[in-house]
Amino acid sequence: MGAKKASPDLLNSSFSFKSLKLKTKQQELLLRVSILGLVYVLAFIARLFSVLRYESMIHEFDPYFNYRTTLFLTEKGFYEFWNWFDSESWYPLGRIIGGTLYPGLMVTAALIYWTLRFLRFFVHIREVCVLTAPFFASNTTIVAYFFGKEIWDTGAGLVAAALIAICPGYISRSVAGSYDNEAVAIFALLLTFYLFVKAVKTGSLSWALGSAFGYFYMVSAWGGYVFIINLVPLYVLVLLITGRYSMRLYVAYNCMYILGMLLAMQIRFVGFQHVQSGEHMGAMGVFLLMQVFYFLDWVKYQLNDTKLFQTFLRITVTSAILVGGIALGVGTASGYISPWTGRFYSLLDPTYAKDHIPIIASVSEHQPTAWSSFMFDYHILLFLFPAGLYFCFKRLSDATIFIVMYGLTSLYFAGVMVRLILVATPAVCLISAIAVSATVKNLTSLLRTKQKVPQTGSTKGVGSSKSSSKVTLDQSQPFQKNGAIALLVGVFYLLSRYAIHCTWVTSEAYSSPSIVLAARGAHGNRIIFDDYREAYYWLRQNTPTDAKVMSWWDYGYQITAMGNRTVIVDNNTWNNTHIATVGRAMSSYEDEAYDIMRSLDVNYVLVVFGGVTGYSSDDINKFLWMVRIGGGVYPVIKEPDYLVNGEFRVDKGASPKMLNCLMYKLCYYRFGELVTEYGKPTGYDRARGVEIGNKDIKLEHLEEAYTTSNWIVRIYRVKPPTNRL
Amino acid sequence: MAISKELLSLLLLVFYLSSIASSSFSDPDSDSDLTNELVSLRSNSESGVIHLDDHGISKFLISSPTPRPYSILVFFDATQLHSKTELRLQELRREFGLVSATFLANNNGSDLNKLFFCEIEFSRSQSSFQRFGVNALPHIRLVTGSTSKLSDESGQMDQSDFARLAESMAEFVEQRTKLTVGPIQRPPFLSKAQISVIVAMIVIATPFVIKRILKGETLLHDHRLWLSGAIFIYFFSVAGTMHNIIRKMPMFLQDRNDPNKLVFFYQGSGMQLGAEGFAVGFLYTVVGLLLAFVTNVLVRVRNLNVQRLVMLVALVVSSWAVKQVVYLDNWKTGYGIHAYWPSSWQ
Repeated sequence: MGAKKASPDLLNSSFSFKSLKLKTKQQELLLRVSILGLVYVLAFIARLFSVLRYESMIHEFDPYFNYRTTLFLTEKGFYEFWNWFDSESWYPLGRIIGGTLYPGLMVTAALIYWTLRFLRFFVHIREVCVLTAPFFASNTTIVAYFFGKEIWDTGAGLVAAALIAICPGYISRSVAGSYDNEAVAIFALLLTFYLFVKAVKTGSLSWALGSAFGYFYMVSAWGGYVFIINLVPLYVLVLLITGRYSMRLYVAYNCMYILGMLLAMQIRFVGFQHVQSGEHMGAMGVFLLMQVFYFLDWVKYQLNDTKLFQTFLRITVTSAILVGGIALGVGTASGYISPWTGRFYSLLDPTYAKDHIPIIASVSEHQPTAWSSFMFDYHILLFLFPAGLYFCFKRLSDATIFIVMYGLTSLYFAGVMVRLILVATPAVCLISAIAVSATVKNLTSLLRTKQKVPQTGSTKGVGSSKSSSKVTLDQSQPFQKNGAIALLVGVFYLLSRYAIHCTWVTSEAYSSPSIVLAARGAHGNRIIFDDYREAYYWLRQNTPTDAKVMSWWDYGYQITAMGNRTVIVDNNTWNNTHIATVGRAMSSYEDEAYDIMRSLDVNYVLVVFGGVTGYSSDDINKFLWMVRIGGGVYPVIKEPDYLVNGEFRVDKGASPKMLNCLMYKLCYYRFGELVTEYGKPTGYDRARGVEIGNKDIKLEHLEEAYTTSNWIVRIYRVKPPTNRL
Repeated sequence: MAISKELLSLLLLVFYLSSIASSSFSDPDSDSDLTNELVSLRSNSESGVIHLDDHGISKFLISSPTPRPYSILVFFDATQLHSKTELRLQELRREFGLVSATFLANNNGSDLNKLFFCEIEFSRSQSSFQRFGVNALPHIRLVTGSTSKLSDESGQMDQSDFARLAESMAEFVEQRTKLTVGPIQRPPFLSKAQISVIVAMIVIATPFVIKRILKGETLLHDHRLWLSGAIFIYFFSVAGTMHNIIRKMPMFLQDRNDPNKLVFFYQGSGMQLGAEGFAVGFLYTVVGLLLAFVTNVLVRVRNLNVQRLVMLVALVVSSWAVKQVVYLDNWKTGYGIHAYWPSSWQ
């Protein structure tokens, strides 16, 4: 971001430009393009920390599914992929992959792969998948530049591009290896918004068409498209209310909505939701309202009689609202329009998920956001945001209204769920960029025109010639020079802190693949725990190909992708009952669990255990959610049975049911013999910091098959039933 | 802890003062008479929770021969403790009433008269409290038909049984009595009549609103209103207010080691206390607004000295706020954020 501010100095002092004899405009263009080029590269390389620190691999959980499907797509072709019925997951139900995923990411990666092959670059599909997210992050910076240029000026565009290139809120989901839907979706989201704002500004059908295609790409890539289909109508509604209705708006919205809707229906997973689900009804209502507005405009033009028009207006509006209300009521009552889904509802009423949908509330990225997370992901952008808001309100236009609405709605949602910080990031960067750009521009122009009459020449400050005609805000500052310098130094200091913060956060916090764990040893050296892959490769090499593995759903995708074995449940949590069955098995006594496992044909059980290494997100810590989800379907499982005075314990004071349930036994089997920490008794659990309560565990129907070197993953074989006599 | 101790001593004192005249002059009422009396009491009471006193307890529980044909779920209440919000007595009593009302609504056979919901109030039924051996609240006790000794604590509802309010209470009852309570029917937030009135008002008001909107003379056309709304939403979000609402975080905690000291800041990321969020949100907002103020409003001030002074103050305040937030963040998350310099520089 330093680049933009450096421009005036460069213009003044660089000799090379003068010797090249470029005109001011050409110089400016050259600077702009080179800054953008640098930002493009920066956005890419900042995301390579994970490759440097670990290796080129796919991260976390969901990306493994995406990787597996992409592999399938490149090997078998698009039609096979589209019709793929996957029998290796959700045993015995299976899963229709083509109809239950957003194919945008896989198709994008496959296209990049095929293009590279066509150009004779023989890369492995995994490398393409690993680098897809950084590549699209780079593209996002370009879109951010154009968006910033559209809502403010080129300077703001450049700053926005630089800010978003290294913003931790975005990096957290787009480092190399995090091959997830969000990687391309944020690009698609911002592109759609940019094209729509452009369409509203110009009233041009082609921009609206572009926006519709951007929307189509977004729908194909991520479920977050619901945000677009609700924000855009909301924006149109606000424009209507504030009396900013225009023909441009009419063209832009109608084209975008109708075409976008028709295109979105081509995605099987979305299907007819645009006309059937309650979440999409707002857009349709606004669409109809637009027609009413247009019709009224036309009638007004025809009538020429205000009194008659007033009466007409009242009748039309009332009847339109009545008809709309009745249609909505009938649609909902007859079941044609489905009510809002839980996830959507939990955004509007945040306490809803906690009470009603444990499977949503259990995911750590669905937790509400504390202030420190905002600070961590936005740093100084948070300070700049209110200033940017103020600038936007000072110069209200259709475009700034949009960015303000986008910023505020997404920021609210970010407060409800940690993961939605990602959606808010582009807006926060853009609005903060406006604050930085406008401030710096005012101050530098003041410094440069000091000798001249102080009331002129502020608008041409940094050479943003295109927007200078409509700049009304940048009043000349009658500050003293030293005041301006002090402020500038302050801003630069903040921005440099931002750069430092972002680099540190990217390198230390957001580049961990979470499938390979790293810890600091006693002497400050790095220790790598590669137990997950060890276990999955063991499964792949040592179990029959048709073996069924039961584990908690978190590990389902990884087992199918890396272990190549059938799983009972996975991260696509589409069938709550099935997950609850697994939760019930894990929280029952061994003999009861055995019956459940027999009925599901389970051959192996896999648990993740952190007691030896102190790894805290293991199955014991997730266990209460298994109980809750299991108990949600099977009332036999009761949470209080596993608690002592409302407290979750694993030591001697734990409840008897806890000490003898399957999960406890599998995690702590033979653990009682082990000394984990010097000076502590045997069976000391380092993740929870207690000595376990049941050291003498006997397994009856299962036997230990494999335990990884650091005990993080433990695999048990389910014994066949004994011979009947 | 401190509260229950306080309550304990209070109760003990009361017990010493109160006479322990337990009288069990029982009429040879047959079981059905007692049941009928309970039914009539229930029909006269709100949401079916019978208000019992010492006399009622001795009549329905002590003097009646076991096994009784009915079970009684007793809620122990104390008006003088309603001010102690951490006990949640009033909330629990409301939920208790809800379970009772649900039970009444979902049962209409012989099961209906097998379980009665009662409450006793401390100041009027001190000897009953003693008889039950209750010395800490909140306390809910199920007296089944076979329970002969009132001090038998097996029917006590655990803390975890009313953790999830009415739902978990109902589960407890269903588990112990083998009766069905059914899904809890909470009264809707707005009654049907209220909703219809609101809808009617909206429908009537719409044409007028639209007329004004078209004329362009509503509050909605005021920039300042929108701006302050926008700043408010920003503040609301970044202060983690949603976190406070969803997690029901208190504004501050009491220090465990020193009860007089209050803890305002919680160490550890992903969690926060109410006041902490607001303080930091305020710091965020102040810096941004000062920046906007300095570059947009201050320039219009004619007096140079005023300008300089205000600017100086703004700079000092901003840098202090930024420093404070960064310091707090490092303290809270435990991260030491530093720059990466080339190794040759070190």
